[in-house]
Amino acid sequence: MKEMITLRINGDSYEISIPPRKTLLEVLREDIGLTGTKEVCHLGMCGACTVLLDNKPILSCLTLGVMCKGKKITTIEGLKKGETLHPLQGSFIREGAIQCGMCTPGMILSAKALLDENPHPNEDDIRTAIEGNLCRCGGYVQIIRAIEATAKRENVG
Amino acid sequence: MLLPDFQYVEPKSLQEACLFLWEHRQESKIIGGGTDLLPSMKQRIFQPKYLVSLCGIPNLDCIEFDEVLGLRIGAMVKLHSLETDPVILERYPMIREATSKVGSFQIRQMGTVGGNLSLDTRCYYYNQSDFWRKCRPTCIKIGGEECNAINGGTKCFAVFSADLAPVLISLGAKIKLFSAYGQRNLFLRDFYTGNGAKPFTMEPEEVLVSVEVPPTPKDVFGTYLKYRIRKSIDFPLASVAIMLILKGREKVCHEAKVVIGAVGTRPEEVKNIEKLLKGKRVEDSLIEEASEMAFRTAKPIANVGSSPTYRKRMIKIFVEKALRQSFGDPEAS
Repeated sequence: MKEMITLRINGDSYEISIPPRKTLLEVLREDIGLTGTKEVCHLGMCGACTVLLDNKPILSCLTLGVMCKGKKITTIEGLKKGETLHPLQGSFIREGAIQCGMCTPGMILSAKALLDENPHPNEDDIRTAIEGNLCRCGGYVQIIRAIEATAKRENVG
Repeated sequence: MLLPDFQYVEPKSLQEACLFLWEHRQESKIIGGGTDLLPSMKQRIFQPKYLVSLCGIPNLDCIEFDEVLGLRIGAMVKLHSLETDPVILERYPMIREATSKVGSFQIRQMGTVGGNLSLDTRCYYYNQSDFWRKCRPTCIKIGGEECNAINGGTKCFAVFSADLAPVLISLGAKIKLFSAYGQRNLFLRDFYTGNGAKPFTMEPEEVLVSVEVPPTPKDVFGTYLKYRIRKSIDFPLASVAIMLILKGREKVCHEAKVVIGAVGTRPEEVKNIEKLLKGKRVEDSLIEEASEMAFRTAKPIANVGSSPTYRKRMIKIFVEKALRQSFGDPEAS
């Protein structure tokens, strides 16, 4: 039984008709066409599907689409402004924190949520913020460095 | 992995929710954060006709504190909100400690207190996909007659592994349940049946609405230690919550509660530890005896990660460590 809902994603409004069983991840990738958010484990154990819901990092594979009406959704596509990358995206590229790229959108959004709440994180804060995001390429060292570098640049500039 | 079809219901009041649950009690499941329910539904462990969300009901997500009555936590309080609440940080640091160890950062943003306390029991042979489970006999927890974890087993040994339960039990917490026919309060420790297949003394039409914790005195010491393979995401494979009231410069023990988790079908209070420690300083010989009591209380079987032997040993090590931490032993961290 489909329900007509309006979702606010990256500042835009989308009116879609979806059954309750559709997760936010499926809605983003299949109905809206935003494939930046990745499907990996489907069970909430890897964090690749992380998006921001009202600025909080959540697992879109375990969130029902119908429960997101009226909320602000931010996906990886929503980070750049025009052609300018978000500072986190720039740091990830410069520090070599992107290998296969599957974990990257989730990692960046978890990091963004951290830096928005705590602009001066120490290494422990960063590790806690990304503890729910797995990287099978083993790129954690560069990822943590990229997040640290972003925090430093933001504070200096 | 797709969810099965269901109808989504979002009642606007507790009364509306309870009436709906009563009418459809055999075909409904309550959804809070969904972090445990939805994976189980994806694996076709549950296929309810209705999912009843508590998100639209006001006043279920409050944390209130009073010096006389103590703490009241609404069942829909998100774990992250609990972890960062100023009252919790100041008066109940052991609750913060346990909450901060649940799952991952994202799971704590979504998961609720009520959901954690009513977490489904787990077993290696149960938390698998539909296809995997069909290759084995239907187990007792799903309505069959055999246990896949213990050959010839006639009861369910699925493990109860929620992180909040041992700590809240050690603090003497009570919960409130609502239904279409009234409300009832019970001690959290009595909520858990010890039956892996039917882990809670709760009917399908009942809703857990809040948990109440008595006020803690200033000289309380409490901690929660969790053994898991990885530092995040994983459920505990063994856990210990300890609550001690130590008075005076000599730190004489007045009250002691040790509750072990994830090594049985429910959290277990280690009996007689208070009798052992009361009126005495917490010293080496007593620590050894207390940790040995906890070791004997733990009865894990090989149905989750690690090994039962290792998990039992971790219980003993944790009780020892926590007791040493209580009187500030610098080597106990």
